[in-house]
Amino acid sequence: MDFMVKANNLKYEYTRTFEADKETRTETFLALNDVNINIKKGSFVAILGHNGSGKSTFAKQINALITPTDGTLWVNGYDTKKEEFVWDIRQSAGMVFQNPDNQIVATIVEEDVAFGPENLGIESSQIRKRVDSVLEAVGMSAFKRQAPSKLSGGQKQRIAIAGVLAMKPKCIVLDEPTAMLDPEGRKDVMETITRLNKEEGITIVHITHYMDEAVKADNVIVIDNGIVVMEGTPKEIFVQVDKLKAYGLDVPQVTEVAYNLRKRGINIPADILTPEEMVGAICQLKLTI
Amino acid sequence: MIRDITIGQYYMVDSPIHSLDPRLKLIATFVYVICLFIINDVYTYAFSMLALAGIIAVSKVPLKFIMRGIKSIIVIIIFTAIINVLTTKGTHVLYELGWFTVTLEGVYMATKMVVRLIMLIVSSSLLTLTTTPIQLTDGIEYLLKPFQKIGVPSHEIAMMMTIALRFIPTLLDETDKIMKAQQARGADFETGGLMEKAKSLVPILVPLFISAFRRADELAMAMEARCYHGGDNRTRMNVMALQKNDYYAMAVICGFVVCLIIIMLVM
Ligand SMILES: Nc1ncnc2c1ncn2[C@@H]1O[C@H](COP(=O)(O)OP(=O)(O)OP(=O)(O)O)[C@@H](O)[C@H]1O
Ligand SMILES: [Mg+2]
Repeated sequence: MDFMVKANNLKYEYTRTFEADKETRTETFLALNDVNINIKKGSFVAILGHNGSGKSTFAKQINALITPTDGTLWVNGYDTKKEEFVWDIRQSAGMVFQNPDNQIVATIVEEDVAFGPENLGIESSQIRKRVDSVLEAVGMSAFKRQAPSKLSGGQKQRIAIAGVLAMKPKCIVLDEPTAMLDPEGRKDVMETITRLNKEEGITIVHITHYMDEAVKADNVIVIDNGIVVMEGTPKEIFVQVDKLKAYGLDVPQVTEVAYNLRKRGINIPADILTPEEMVGAICQLKLTI
Repeated sequence: MIRDITIGQYYMVDSPIHSLDPRLKLIATFVYVICLFIINDVYTYAFSMLALAGIIAVSKVPLKFIMRGIKSIIVIIIFTAIINVLTTKGTHVLYELGWFTVTLEGVYMATKMVVRLIMLIVSSSLLTLTTTPIQLTDGIEYLLKPFQKIGVPSHEIAMMMTIALRFIPTLLDETDKIMKAQQARGADFETGGLMEKAKSLVPILVPLFISAFRRADELAMAMEARCYHGGDNRTRMNVMALQKNDYYAMAVICGFVVCLIIIMLVM
């Protein structure tokens, strides 16, 4: 199977219990509705959607932290509903969460990175080797013996990525890993992710609210109220400015500029995603005048 | 900055005591404390004190830091002394204080108790002064392992201690933030009586607790995502192994106990 993640009519229902009129009632809420998603091995996929659209719910499914109410999800070929595969799934698909503070377990950086491999029961000398090499890979070797509480947000997030990498996953799911970071930290984390994807061939599923991060992906998936509403390359997605806005999403800044320029009758391509492309297009424009 | 406070009281310096295996230090402290409860004449007291002084000298921890531990329980020490002086019955009466009589035996008893208490505190604070909390946790986990069969959750205890240590700075930071946020809204934590001060803590504690529970929830999920499934089949990156110095230390501990027994038998 050459799909890392394959969702087939995936449904997920949350059950909420609440008290009303002195009695407890339960209510179900369909967070994912008939989701069909195929993510190729080695690809970089960005998932977009406004708050509460079901992105995190989908991410947790990939890690078998929650399992489908209906439909099937295969991760690296394993059916997430089958209990016996849970550890294989969690080992092959690592997860990085939004808040760096709430996912670091140990009091020393290298001990935290070792946490995953320790759980897998790997031999001590082997863990040592892995920890050293993944800390090198995320550029945090110098902080090996530090306390995580003394690191910046971006550094902590790179430690969290290292902790996942040490389990030798085939896929990493990142749920808004840059949401709590400053621009510098965001850049570091994004560089790390793209490098892991390009050089190590690790499949990346990146959930984000930043459009300039989504631009770096091979594929973009837009979720709205639990339904996949758009799917395609960044260029295919971001030219549809009006549609995206209807789903409560933005487009990259330069794409918006291009969109507005076109509205005013200036002949400029609609699928400009990066400032570099914009510069190129504007220079072309001058030549034709 | 609030996060700069050190947890525990580890005194960082390179010494033979610092580099000993934490398990050995835990056992040594345990043995020493038991000895303190057995000894009861001047000679054994003097010998135990001498041994402790020797270890302090080797550990390179300044006396000032060791005294800090005593300072924090000075009230208990004084209380113990007074109770012992006043309640011990004896024949050599020194003073008559209404209902109470101060006897020579009482003074002798009080001195013994106070010295014992001080040695107890000094020896156990020497353990925490020369061992990092992480090493201590690892040591405790290892030493409790044999008791797992009778239901002592050794791995869970160690994991709880690790997580507590990990989150103390985070929660302190958060307390600081919440306090500032409440102050910005006009909260007053400084003035007022005891009751008012206690009441003013509520707007700090409530958000702190809510956030701590949220963090715990997220942490549990993150740990599960990293294949955490309790202590079974779990390996460790840093395996504790006894070094040459540890064997010397073991010999010293045995020597100490043997000497103590000989002194007790002879005297
Ligand atoms: N534990 C839960 N119990 C009940 N409902 C939940 C639970 N977690 C999420 N939901 C609901 O499911 C929906 C999808 O939530 P989800 O966290 O997946 O959204 P999201 O796309 O990740 O949003 P955000 O961008 O804010 O992270 C929301 O409407 C939310 O209220
Ligand atoms: Mg989310």
